[in-house]
Amino acid sequence: MAGVDSDQLVGQYYMPLYRFGLSLSRKESDAGDLVQQTFYAWAAKGHQLRDTSKVKTWLFTTLYREFLAQRRRDARFVETGDDESQFVEPPHVSPSAVDAIDATTVQQALHRLDDRYRAPVTLFYMQQHSYREIAEILSIPIGTVMSRISRGKAELRKALQDSVERDARKVVQVEGGSAHG
Amino acid sequence: MDKREARSFLSAYRAGESVDDSRFAEAERHAAADPELARWWTEEQELDRAIGAKLATVAVPADLKARLTSRVVPLAVPQRSWRRAALLAAAAIVALAVLFGSWRGPFQPATSLADYREEMVSFIKVTPSLELETSDLTRITNFLQKSGAPTQIEIPASLRKLDPFGCRTLRFRGHDVALICFKRGGGRLAHLLVIDRAVVRGLGSQPQYAMEGEWATAAWTKGERDYLLAVQGDQSAAEKFISDS
Repeated sequence: MAGVDSDQLVGQYYMPLYRFGLSLSRKESDAGDLVQQTFYAWAAKGHQLRDTSKVKTWLFTTLYREFLAQRRRDARFVETGDDESQFVEPPHVSPSAVDAIDATTVQQALHRLDDRYRAPVTLFYMQQHSYREIAEILSIPIGTVMSRISRGKAELRKALQDSVERDARKVVQVEGGSAHG
Repeated sequence: MDKREARSFLSAYRAGESVDDSRFAEAERHAAADPELARWWTEEQELDRAIGAKLATVAVPADLKARLTSRVVPLAVPQRSWRRAALLAAAAIVALAVLFGSWRGPFQPATSLADYREEMVSFIKVTPSLELETSDLTRITNFLQKSGAPTQIEIPASLRKLDPFGCRTLRFRGHDVALICFKRGGGRLAHLLVIDRAVVRGLGSQPQYAMEGEWATAAWTKGERDYLLAVQGDQSAAEKFISDS
């Protein structure tokens, strides 16, 4: 493979990798460490990659494997099988409602997802990866990717709906409170 | 396929992406023939874009890029001949074995002190985010214990006289490292990094001093742990904090 400039590679991918790491680990310090481990692995093993078009997938795969390795070490992560054929209709949330809430709320809703769904849904929303690439990164069949995206999106909508309703209740309370104040 | 099923498939489908599953093509045909379903799907895609756009603005630590670019080793230039490729591959295997701790030699830990020192200093020189900020050493010890980081840490007496600032754990080539920061005054910190003894090669009970840029370091072994102190200043600054008096 032709030489790849490491600084350029960092510049191009460190932000999406960090966001993926944050989604997986739900902890800023762990996300930073995952990105660092990923680029270390690249510095040590990246030259083995022959196909430059695979660099992005390689980096995301490496980060995900590092995350799984840490989880297994911590014995907190249990991978369970799921039925590939299950697709669900997500509850309705209007795009304008999402526009009105801040990124942290969306991120928190994402963090509430089950481990199995969080990774594929995050990669889906990054809009940088095809389903095939997501399947490669997570080492699961493409059908499983799609069913997990379907169910993960439904869970995310529910969490977003809760946030939107909670925010609406706060506004009502504040308005009600000011009438007495 | 009824409308509800079509919705459930379309919700997981990105328009235009080739998927080897006829159910998605069928759901797409439903949407093409049903204006209400088409509107629903258009709104779904708008919603996906809105969520994606929000997630794309999640803040990334300002110092992360600097931390990464100061620590990533540039890749080797492309190999042109098989002989050169073979030599570099052999070198890479040895480097990898050393890097990931799989090659230990006869009873030798894999990582050199120089590598460990360089990597740890490059980490702390861009002020690291801490997982716990407290001046209570007992809380720090408890936190590190719960985090699975090296415990039974013996902090030099001179360092113990300083107020702790906080702690965190980090990873060094697959091993946990405990980092405890102490306040030195003048807004500066003394950083103590502790790792299991088996990881770093060439350490003994006598401190080894070295400079990493503007950082003075001292490294030594005590009990089952290897210790690395890093402070800004010259060697005397490091010496001052590791004396047992």
